[in-house]
Amino acid sequence: MNDIDPRDDPRGFEDTAVLSELTRLVYELDPPPADLVERVQFAIALEDLDVEVARWERAGSLTGVRGGQPGTITFTVDNLTLMVNFTSTGARHRIDGWLVPAGEHTVEVRVAEHESTTTRADDGGRFVLPDVPTGTTQIVVHLVNARGERGRTVVTPTIML
Amino acid sequence: MGELRTTGDHPPWEGLAGTDRHAACVIAARTGNRSALDVLVAELTPLVWHVARGHGLDRSTAEDVVQTVWLAFLRHIDRLHEPRALVGWLVVATRREARRTWTPAKRETGLTDEVADHLESTQGLPEDAALVDDRDIRLWRAFGRLSQRCQELLRLTVLAGRAEYRTVAEALAIPRGSIGPTRGRCLTTLRTHLDAEGGSR
Repeated sequence: MNDIDPRDDPRGFEDTAVLSELTRLVYELDPPPADLVERVQFAIALEDLDVEVARWERAGSLTGVRGGQPGTITFTVDNLTLMVNFTSTGARHRIDGWLVPAGEHTVEVRVAEHESTTTRADDGGRFVLPDVPTGTTQIVVHLVNARGERGRTVVTPTIML
Repeated sequence: MGELRTTGDHPPWEGLAGTDRHAACVIAARTGNRSALDVLVAELTPLVWHVARGHGLDRSTAEDVVQTVWLAFLRHIDRLHEPRALVGWLVVATRREARRTWTPAKRETGLTDEVADHLESTQGLPEDAALVDDRDIRLWRAFGRLSQRCQELLRLTVLAGRAEYRTVAEALAIPRGSIGPTRGRCLTTLRTHLDAEGGSR
């Protein structure tokens, strides 16, 4: 597993004992989460691949909303801000969202192993999805311009709800 | 987007390894082959993960960065003019994204390679990973005391295959001739820290 090329080490710097420790560290102590590949594969299984990615703004905190806690998450990309509030309604969720700048943008919520839920934001940029299933969730926003013409598509990373 | 199914039992990357395999996947993915994308994600996500973690991101943030990088890759897949350069592209994109998600105080000053060289990382330890025994804890502490530069280089050179690790090192902007000595110094420092933590074995 150690792909150490001896030609890179003419002076014998390498220490095989430490290298084996290091291999253990990378492969056993700090591997990616077991379901990360699956979640990425879900996140990129999109109709349109020409998407912009909105980033999760954590406001300086390293802790996000994980493990089903309700809360508000803010995503941004370029000049677009997407705020979403998740409220648990038992096994499902209510999503209240707000897009800035406002517009009658189409909002699609994808949940792994479920049908997508789609709604349209009002002219103030607000939208509500009262009943969304729980699971690996991704929000896709199809933006419209001031004349109502379809523009770019923005997606979020997946959120675990 | 139309999907080109690999109706035959032999996808173009079959039997290939390393850079050749990934380049074949990139070319197939450009024509809409979703299986090719899934292969790339499955095989290269650990690399992207360790770049992000080696850059001092906690596990939650690293997960987001991994997803963001792959989503960004979708947009760039047609513009990646050399499919064989995929690993380098991923490393560079992940480092850039990791710096963007750095905490606001540090984001303002920017984290240059020079700063990274001298910054002893206090993050990056597996706050939620199971450390099974004292030896694991000693190893984590010793590794965590290395500069971020060393952490990143050591993670990647252990992880990447022989054919790709030079690409990785080049993406880290380390001159080819000094990869070995640089890594050697990092390992020596790791050994010193391990000894200080009470021995490595």
